[in-house]
Amino acid sequence: MTNMIKRVGVVTGRVLNQLRRDHRFVGISLVFPLVIIYFIKVVFDALASPSFNISVYVVPYAAFIIHFITFILTAIVLVRERTAGTLARMFVSGYNPIEIVSGYLLAYTVLATVQSLLVLIELNWIFELGYDLGQLASIYLVMWVLAIVSMAIGMLVSNFARNEGQVFPFIPLVLLSVILSGIILPIERLPEWVQALSFLTPLYYVNEVIQKLIIGDGLFDDWPKLIGLLAYGLIIVSTATLSLRESD
Amino acid sequence: MKQTTAVHTQKLDKNFGEVKALKSVSLKIETGQIFGLLGANGAGKTTLIRLLIDSTKPSSGHLTVSGFDPTKGKRAIRKLIGYMPQSPALYEDLTPRENIHFFCQAHRVKNISQRVDDVIAFVGLSERAHDPVYKFSGGMKQRVSLACALVHQPKMLLLDEPTSGIDPKLREAFWEHFRELTSKGVTIIVSTHQMNEAMYCDRLAILHQGVLLADDTPRQLLWNNRSRIKIWSGEQVTEKDLINYPEQLPGELQSYGLDSTVSRIEIEEDTLETVVLRMINEQEAGHLREAKDDQYD
Repeated sequence: MTNMIKRVGVVTGRVLNQLRRDHRFVGISLVFPLVIIYFIKVVFDALASPSFNISVYVVPYAAFIIHFITFILTAIVLVRERTAGTLARMFVSGYNPIEIVSGYLLAYTVLATVQSLLVLIELNWIFELGYDLGQLASIYLVMWVLAIVSMAIGMLVSNFARNEGQVFPFIPLVLLSVILSGIILPIERLPEWVQALSFLTPLYYVNEVIQKLIIGDGLFDDWPKLIGLLAYGLIIVSTATLSLRESD
Repeated sequence: MKQTTAVHTQKLDKNFGEVKALKSVSLKIETGQIFGLLGANGAGKTTLIRLLIDSTKPSSGHLTVSGFDPTKGKRAIRKLIGYMPQSPALYEDLTPRENIHFFCQAHRVKNISQRVDDVIAFVGLSERAHDPVYKFSGGMKQRVSLACALVHQPKMLLLDEPTSGIDPKLREAFWEHFRELTSKGVTIIVSTHQMNEAMYCDRLAILHQGVLLADDTPRQLLWNNRSRIKIWSGEQVTEKDLINYPEQLPGELQSYGLDSTVSRIEIEEDTLETVVLRMINEQEAGHLREAKDDQYD
């Protein structure tokens, strides 16, 4: 066990070291969500009307942006590891799937921590959300968990792609999650069979928890959804680990 | 008990869909040898190496590496082997030092810093040890890749075209080092399509389109094949094929004694390249015959 923890630490250290050098990747991960959120602000300003409650939309939209960008970047980076042959080399050097997936997740969690924080600071600043510190901390926590879950989804998808191009067919599924999550339209207004599918996207759980936080409820008031998000993440991480192929 | 057979394959087949990458390959590789896998692109060399490291599963047949079945004892095998893939397989944002350090940690090498210095010096990259790998030429990347495979002083080295893109002087140094390693009992399995390199091997397997055409020492491969003798005696030129040149030659020359009319003797030996090409042509002709026979059946 101690050896496994050490080896996870070695993988994490290596990935962080790479991230430190890969300014483009870090730049895209951190700056793109901020730019997109700014454009959402421009659009919302144009739509401004007294009856339009912006805050119901902006936080879930920001969550989706984090979800989408984190998913796609993680998937591509991991596919690159497979095509470059470094993944095979890691396996031959004795690393196992748990060590590799955990190492990557821990390293990218550092990035997710910064990314979620910057997004929340921007949201609070440009939309003047006026939430108290407790609300902001709770929203931050939910977004942070979502970012980690999105990375795990990226890892899972990368296990089924032989090259970067094969990641792209999965993008529509992520876009579909906007509809299924209830961000655009409350899911109660959708047909029942579509509502059943909403459980398949992490954004559903995130949106449900965020909507409660926005109206002033506590983080654990809708605990089943919060547990749902964590369970969802756990299932995805486990599936990503189990499906990481050492051989074909 | 000391394991004398490093690798043993029996009727090994590997199919990728419709493509038969290896067809009933049976081989025995002894410990402490440099064993060369010789063949053109698509011959099955890389597939065979990937089967040995359990990076792909056999379609049928049986294989053992140091007595272990790769599908069941891969953890044990992976502790024993160093693997250098055909593509450099490096983290290009990192320096050679960082790449090598990472694989040292994977193998829990003791005194890592010293070991990293040693392998970097061996591959001649001490001056560039702190530059990111993406700035390197293909040959330099190959050198870093070899260093990564050597870090834990493995009992068996699997090298997939290790010297492609490397200058002749360094190539010579690599082979000297490989020889030094085998003298310490390390088994080296090396794939190549360069004939001059194949001559450095203790034993060679010649593969073509997944078929094992020959498995012998380079010298034996040459001896088993044709040589030609040409003798100029007066106005006459005699040409003859020699099946086993070292043993047949004295007999051929005896008939001439010390005849002063003999003005010139030439012996044309097959090169390994000629031998391999002939084997390939014969195999392809055989296939063609089989295909035609099938047509008329």
